[in-house]
Amino acid sequence: MSSPFAPLTESLIRHRGVLGAMVVGLDDGLIVESTLQVGVNGNAFAALTASLYRKARRSAGAAGFGATGFLELTAEQGRVCTAGGQELVVVVVCEQRVNVGLLRVELLRAAEHLP
Amino acid sequence: MRFSVVASWVETPLKQFVDDARVEIAVLLHPSGQVLGQYGFARSVDVMTACALASAIHASAGELGRMLEGKPFTALHYTGRDRQIFLGAIPSPSGTLLLFAVFDRESSLGLVQLFLEEFSARIAIAAPPLVSDGSPPMAEHFERDLNRNLAQLFGRA
Amino acid sequence: MANDDIRALSEALAADPASLVFVPLGEALRRRGDLEVALRVALRGVERHPANPDAHDLIARIAVDAGDLERAVAEWEAVLRLTNGHAGAHKGLGFICFQLGRLEDAEAHLGAALAANPEDGSLAAALQTARAALAETADRPARPTLGLPIEMQRPDADAGALFDDLLEGQRSAAMLLDADGLVLAGRYVSADGRDLAAIIGAQLSGVSDEAGRAMRHLGLGNWRQIVFETEAASVAMAPSQEGVLLVAAARPIPLGFVRRVLERALERAAEWMGDAR
Repeated sequence: MSSPFAPLTESLIRHRGVLGAMVVGLDDGLIVESTLQVGVNGNAFAALTASLYRKARRSAGAAGFGATGFLELTAEQGRVCTAGGQELVVVVVCEQRVNVGLLRVELLRAAEHLP
Repeated sequence: MRFSVVASWVETPLKQFVDDARVEIAVLLHPSGQVLGQYGFARSVDVMTACALASAIHASAGELGRMLEGKPFTALHYTGRDRQIFLGAIPSPSGTLLLFAVFDRESSLGLVQLFLEEFSARIAIAAPPLVSDGSPPMAEHFERDLNRNLAQLFGRA
Repeated sequence: MANDDIRALSEALAADPASLVFVPLGEALRRRGDLEVALRVALRGVERHPANPDAHDLIARIAVDAGDLERAVAEWEAVLRLTNGHAGAHKGLGFICFQLGRLEDAEAHLGAALAANPEDGSLAAALQTARAALAETADRPARPTLGLPIEMQRPDADAGALFDDLLEGQRSAAMLLDADGLVLAGRYVSADGRDLAAIIGAQLSGVSDEAGRAMRHLGLGNWRQIVFETEAASVAMAPSQEGVLLVAAARPIPLGFVRRVLERALERAAEWMGDAR
């Protein structure tokens, strides 16, 4: 039986350049729902990206910047984008060449529905 | 630095696990309760207590698992208000070992599980093969080994 | 919230203009980024319900998104006059006062917000930062500001001014941090002239450590850039020499501007570090 988030991850992975889409617990870094291409280590991306997002959120809060919305990490061989609610975050693993602007809008929209 | 090890092959994998998973406390032990290495405790009595409790929890969880699912539970996670504990069994050439970890919000269950996999792989390479003469461990040997290990850990050997 | 929900709320408001449905509608529009429409809805609502704290709270949040901090302050102050101890208003005012360099006010508001919501870790951390900033900068002389237009300075004037000309007079800041999170160059100047770079840098440099760890395990090579958006600012950072370069710009300055400043500041930092050696 699929979770209520399956349509979201299935929709995100249809974007050109997206290799994996997940809904992840913010505090525990565990996957709630995922749609991944073969070879993507979902557990690693989920745990480490949730941790990065938590760190950014805490740091931004402590720096007086308020709540964090969209976050993008760009690396030599790919990108990871995320946005989330208080309990869950959406994590998208992408190739370098991806329409980040479009993904950002989709993730922020998706994040509105997350607890 | 709060690392201490009984067996030298434990040191590198345990340090790597602590660095990666950012746990506050990590103890590698035999299911019998004998400690192999630890990070985070300052007093031997705390290590001894933690090992005894971890060993008992693992034994109880194993039996519960056998009753409920026909096979022992291999991992346990408990969430407190500020801290969480994780107890996981890992296979090694020396037989099954237990990793007991305590972490706060700097880490997460996902990170601990992720890096436990890597830790297991390193231990599988580093641990020496089990040498056994087939006789069951005797209580007095266990007590002696336990005290020797704790003395080694805290520099009183 | 989906378009259908917004349409339903909008229809409900049309059917009963005196209802309080303008609050969720305005909030939904704000979240979608339709700030002008959201503000119109909120202002019309507050005309009918001037004593409703949620209406003023909504206007304040829209004002923050639009970068109109003065209006946000006025509205949240109105909320506090209507509902003494309103946690959301104290929190919002705390963050804005911190941004504007009103550190004493920030401390008071964040303290009040934390008292109302003691489980909120971000509030505790923010309060700690405000107190540290107060202690750090109590005796410093006034300088140019992040909250107000920056006075252009020659980049070679001093390390603090290294990136000032790249910021194009926008409400933004850039700073170069070493591997320990200490400021090497650049500054983050609040509206009352206090340089908060050391505090902000120390808080945000931890994000790059986290990225470093992730990269060791994800197989994506080295990290090149992190950008994230918060309620008050857009932040971008990139590895530079052995440390990290950090750019922060007050909302609603778009992410694209922040990225561009980051790239130019990276070049400037590389030149400066070369000269310094």
